[in-house]
Amino acid sequence: MNRTECDVLILGGGPAGLTSAIYAARSMLNTVVVDQNVVGGQVASTYQVANYPGTNGIIRGIDLVNNMKKQAVDFGAQINDMQDIKQIDLSGEIKKLETAKADYYARSVIIATGSVPRKLNVEGEERFTGKGVHYCATCDGAFYYDANVIVVGGGDAAVEEAVFLTRYAKKVFVVHRRDHFSATKSAQEELFKNPSVEVLFNTEVKAINGSDFVTGVKLFDNKNNRTYEMDIDGIFIYIGMQPQSSLFRGQIEIDDYGYIITDENLQTSVKGVFAAGDVRKKEIRQITTAVGDGTVAAIMAGRYIAGLKPEPGKFV
Amino acid sequence: MKVTVYSTPTCPYCVMAKNYLSEKNIPYEDIDVSADPAKAREMIQKSGQRGVPVIDIDGNIIVGFNRTRIDELINQ
Repeated sequence: MNRTECDVLILGGGPAGLTSAIYAARSMLNTVVVDQNVVGGQVASTYQVANYPGTNGIIRGIDLVNNMKKQAVDFGAQINDMQDIKQIDLSGEIKKLETAKADYYARSVIIATGSVPRKLNVEGEERFTGKGVHYCATCDGAFYYDANVIVVGGGDAAVEEAVFLTRYAKKVFVVHRRDHFSATKSAQEELFKNPSVEVLFNTEVKAINGSDFVTGVKLFDNKNNRTYEMDIDGIFIYIGMQPQSSLFRGQIEIDDYGYIITDENLQTSVKGVFAAGDVRKKEIRQITTAVGDGTVAAIMAGRYIAGLKPEPGKFV
Repeated sequence: MKVTVYSTPTCPYCVMAKNYLSEKNIPYEDIDVSADPAKAREMIQKSGQRGVPVIDIDGNIIVGFNRTRIDELINQ
C-alpha cells in the first residue's frame, strides 16, 4: 500500500479545492488534492462562465478549471484524481484517508467535495439514464436535433440549459412545480424571448416512460389537479444539487440537508478539518464564493498547522 | 489498436477523454456526432444509449470518460 504524508489534504478538485491547493502549496505546505472523479467539479461541465471576474465573460468552464489546476500544480500541489475513496478517519491529530491505491496521512483536511445533481426519484429515471434522461445538456444535447425535450427545474441551471438546448431541439418545454422561476432576471429574459421554449409552471414530472429509449412522461398539473401524458424524446433534469458529505457523517456536524456546518473561519466541528465550497452550509453557492471559501480554508489550515508545532516523525 | 471517440464539441468529458488519449500517444478517430446523424445512430446502436463520450477500443465500448477502463483496454 502506498503511503502519502502531507500537511494539507484537500478532498475534491473543483474551484474551492483547487483554490485551497493554490494557497496552501504557495505557502510551502505539502499539499495533496484527492478527487474521486476528474478534477474540475461542476464547472468542468458548464459550457460558458459569464460572471467570473477577470475573465472575458465567455470563458469555457473546462478552461477555467484547467487554468486553476495548472496554477495549483505549478505551485507544487500534488493532484491525485480518479481515486476510489474507501474511508476517512478525522478523529486523531493526524487524519487518515484510505483509497484503493494509497493511505494518506494529513495534519489538516479541507473538505471541498461539492455536490452532485439531485435526482427526481420518479419511475423510469434510473432505467432511462443516458437513454433519454440526462443531467448534462452541454454533453448530450446534440442528440436531440429536431426533437422535443423537457427541462425540469426553475433555477439558473434549468433556465440557462433550456436556452442552450434550443440550438438543437425543435421545442423545449420547461417544467417547473412552482408558479415562477428562481433564476436570475437576465437568464429568465433570455428564456422567455426564445420562440422555441414553452414554460409549464405548476407542473411536476411523475413518471418517465419508454421502451429502449424515453418516449414520454406523465405530468401532474398541481394547480388543476390533473394528470396527463406527454410524448417527449428527452428529459434534462436540473432540480438542484445534493451535497457529497456522506463519507463524513458521524465524524463532523452536518445539517439535515447534508451540508457541512462550519464556523466563520470555515473550520468544522473537528479541529484541523475545514469545509469549503458547495458542500458547506451557506446561502450563496457560486464559483466565486467557492474560490473565496477555498482561500479562507487554506489560510486557516496553514495557521492551524503552524500552531500545531508538529515534530518530524510524528506520523502514524 | 483502433480507437474511435464519439463526441460533441461542447462536451467537457469528451475533451478530457481525447486529451487523455493524446497524452498516452494513442491515435484515435474523433467523430462529432452533433454534425453527423448517421454516426450518431451508429454510436447509439453500439452503446445502447445517447450519452457522450463513447469510446470504441477494438470493438470494446466504453460509455463516459472511464479512465480505469481505458487503461485496461490500451494496456492489453
